[in-house]
Amino acid sequence: MRSPYSLQRKHGVKRIRQTAQDREAKRQREQSRIKDYLALTNVILTGKKNKDWSEDAFNLTTRILQLNPEFYTAWNYRRNIFAWINFASSHQGILKILSEDLSMTMTALKAHPKVYWIWNHRRWCLENIPDLSESDPNDNTWKKEAWDRELFVVEKMLDSDPRNFHAWDYRRYILANMPIPRPPASELAYTSRKIESNFSNFSAWHQRSKVLSSLWESGDLDESKSKEKDRNIWCAEFELIRNAMYTDPNDQSVWMYHRWLVGSSKSCLLVIAHHLIASVRECHCCLSSNNFNVFNIGCMESIVCYKRMLIKDHATDVDLAMLTRECNGMLQQLQELDPLRRRRYEDLVGTLLK
Amino acid sequence: MSEQDTQLPALSRAGHASHCFRFINGLPAAKTDLDPSRLAIAFYCIGSLDLLGELEGRIPQAERESWREWVWEQQAGGKHGTGFRPSPFMVAQGGPSAPPMANYAHCDTPHIIMTYTALLTLAILRDDFSILDRSGLLKFLRACQREDGSFSTTPGSGESDLRTLYCAFAISSMLNDWSGIDVPRATSFIALCRTYEGGYGQSPFCEAQGGTTYIAIASLGLVPSTFSQRLTTSERQKTIQWLLSNQHESGGFCGRTNKDADACYCFWCGAALKILGAGNFVDARALAGFIARCQFKFGGIAKAPGETPDPYHTYLSLAALSMYPPKTFDGDARPESWTFDSLDPLLNARIGTAVWARKYIPAV
Repeated sequence: MRSPYSLQRKHGVKRIRQTAQDREAKRQREQSRIKDYLALTNVILTGKKNKDWSEDAFNLTTRILQLNPEFYTAWNYRRNIFAWINFASSHQGILKILSEDLSMTMTALKAHPKVYWIWNHRRWCLENIPDLSESDPNDNTWKKEAWDRELFVVEKMLDSDPRNFHAWDYRRYILANMPIPRPPASELAYTSRKIESNFSNFSAWHQRSKVLSSLWESGDLDESKSKEKDRNIWCAEFELIRNAMYTDPNDQSVWMYHRWLVGSSKSCLLVIAHHLIASVRECHCCLSSNNFNVFNIGCMESIVCYKRMLIKDHATDVDLAMLTRECNGMLQQLQELDPLRRRRYEDLVGTLLK
Repeated sequence: MSEQDTQLPALSRAGHASHCFRFINGLPAAKTDLDPSRLAIAFYCIGSLDLLGELEGRIPQAERESWREWVWEQQAGGKHGTGFRPSPFMVAQGGPSAPPMANYAHCDTPHIIMTYTALLTLAILRDDFSILDRSGLLKFLRACQREDGSFSTTPGSGESDLRTLYCAFAISSMLNDWSGIDVPRATSFIALCRTYEGGYGQSPFCEAQGGTTYIAIASLGLVPSTFSQRLTTSERQKTIQWLLSNQHESGGFCGRTNKDADACYCFWCGAALKILGAGNFVDARALAGFIARCQFKFGGIAKAPGETPDPYHTYLSLAALSMYPPKTFDGDARPESWTFDSLDPLLNARIGTAVWARKYIPAV
C-alpha cells in the first residue's frame, strides 16, 4: 500500500517540489477518476439487480475489473452472464469465451499476482471447459491443452516470484486435477530445479516435502525401502541438503527441511539421527576450521534438536547423561551467540534438567 | 552489546494518529482496489486511534457518531442471514440514505471478515449493539461454513481459508453463542492446515505462515472448554520454536521461513506466542527497535524501514507494542511514548474494548 502523501524520491535525484497549481491539477484528475469509477460501479450494480445479461453488461464488467480486480461482485456477475448466454451455445463457442477470459485474467495476474478473485476465476474457467468435443466423443485434446497451458502459466508466475504461495497452491491444484496426471517424479525434478537455482527458496523445499510424502503414502516410494534398503533416494536427498548446507549455512530453509526429513520417519530415527548428527557436526567443524568466527547457529540448533529427540524417544538406547551434558553445553553457547532467543534457550536448559 | 547500548528513538504517536485520521477521511483513486475492504480499513484506522488513546481526546463526539452510523449502514439481512457488507458500493442506489437494515440481493451478500471488523469497530466506539441482529448473524455463520469445516467469505462462494474461520470463531465468542458453527468440523480443518514446521498454512498443503498461525492458535484459544481442543505439549513446543525462529536479527518478525521481517508479523507471531504462554521469550526491545525504524517521517508505520506506511501496518505495529511494551532507559529519546494499555491477543482489541464487546454483544 502506498500512502497518498508519500513524496517521490529516487536515488540521487532531488525531490521535485510541486507547485500549488500542479497539486490542484492532480487533485482534479483524481476526483474525476473517482467519479468515473463510482458511476461505472453504479451502472453495473443496477444492471445486475435488473438481471441484465447482455453483451454490453459483460463488456462493462471487463472495464471495471481492469480498474479493480478486487471487486468480487463484478466477477460473480460476469460468471452469471456466461451461464446465461454462453452455455446454451456450442462447445466450440464456450471454449472460445473461456479461452479469452483466461487471456484477460493472465494480464490481470501479471499486474496483481496475489488477488484471490483472479486465481479463482481461472479455476472456474478451467473447470467449465467442456469435457468432450461434440464431433468426436473420445477427444479431450482441448481440455488437456488448456490444463497444460495453465501449468506453463503458473511456472512463469513462479519464475517471476518464486515465493508467491498463491501460485504454489494453484500449482498443486492443477497437478491434482489435470485430465492426464503428471508423474510425481517430474514434480520432484521441478522442485530440484527451483531449489538448485536458489537454495533459499523455502517454498520449493516445502513443495518437495509434499511430493515425497505423497510418494511415500502411495507406496510408489516404499518408505522402508527408500530409507533403509534402497539408500539411493535417501542418500541423494541428504546430498542435496549437504550441498545447500555448505553453500549457505545461515539459510533457514535447509535446516527446516532437514528437520522434516528426520521427523518424517519415526521408526528409523535412531539410525538417521546418528547419521545426521555426524554430518551436521562435520559441517559445523568445517565452518569453524575455515575461520568462521561465529559458530553456525543453524548447525548447533539442529544438533540440539536431534539430541533432544533421542533423549525423549530413545532414552534406553543412548548414553542419556552424556547427551544431556552435550545439549546443555550447546544451549549455553547458543544463549551467547543468539541473544534474540536467549530466554528460550534458558527455558530449554530447565526442561532438560527435569 | 547490552540492551541499554542501543538508544530507542521516540514513537511518533501524534504522527501515526494523523496518518490514520487522513485515511478515514478518504482514499485516493490509486487506492480503488481497497473499495471492497473499506470496513477493514476503517477498523485499522479507528483501532489505531484507540490504541494510541487519541479517540476521545482528538476526535469530536459528532464525528465518532457519524462513524458509528456509517458502520451500521453496512448491516444487511436477507436469505443467508445478517452480517456487514464491506462498504456502500455493494448497494446500487444505497449510500448514506440507505436504511439501517437494508436487504441484500443475491451476490450482494455480507462478508465474514468485514462482519468481524465491524463488531470490533462498534465496540471501540462504545456502541450498545441494540440494533444488532443476533439470530441473523448466527444464520449467516451457518451459511458460510463449508463441508470441510472451513468458512467462505460470503455464503456459498469466495475464498475460504483459516482467516475466515478465525472471524467466525471471534464472532461466536463475542456473541457468547457457538450454535452458528459446527466446532468439531471447524477444528478438524485447523488441524489439516498444521505443517511439520509447527506453524499453520492458509489451507492444507501450504507452507506455514505467521498470519495463519496466529489465526489457528487464537481460534483454538477462543473455543470454549466444552469442546476441549488443545495442542499436545510437543505440538505446542514445536509451534513456539517455529514462531521464535521467525524473529529476525533486525528485531522484527518474518512471516515465513527465509522471508524478510515485516511489521505486521510482529503482531501475528507475537500474539500467537503470547497466547501460547511464550511471550517472555520474545526480545521486546529489539521488536520495538525494528518498529521504530519502520516509522514514516510524516506519520504512519510501514511494513519495513524505508517503505511507505499504511493503516494496516500501523495498527498491527501498535497492537504488537501493546503486548510487548519495551523496557525503556533514561538514555532513550522519549520513554513515555512507548507506554500502552494491554491488548487482548485473542480478539485483537484493547482490553477495555474486549471487555465492552463481551458485555454488550451477547443477547441479553
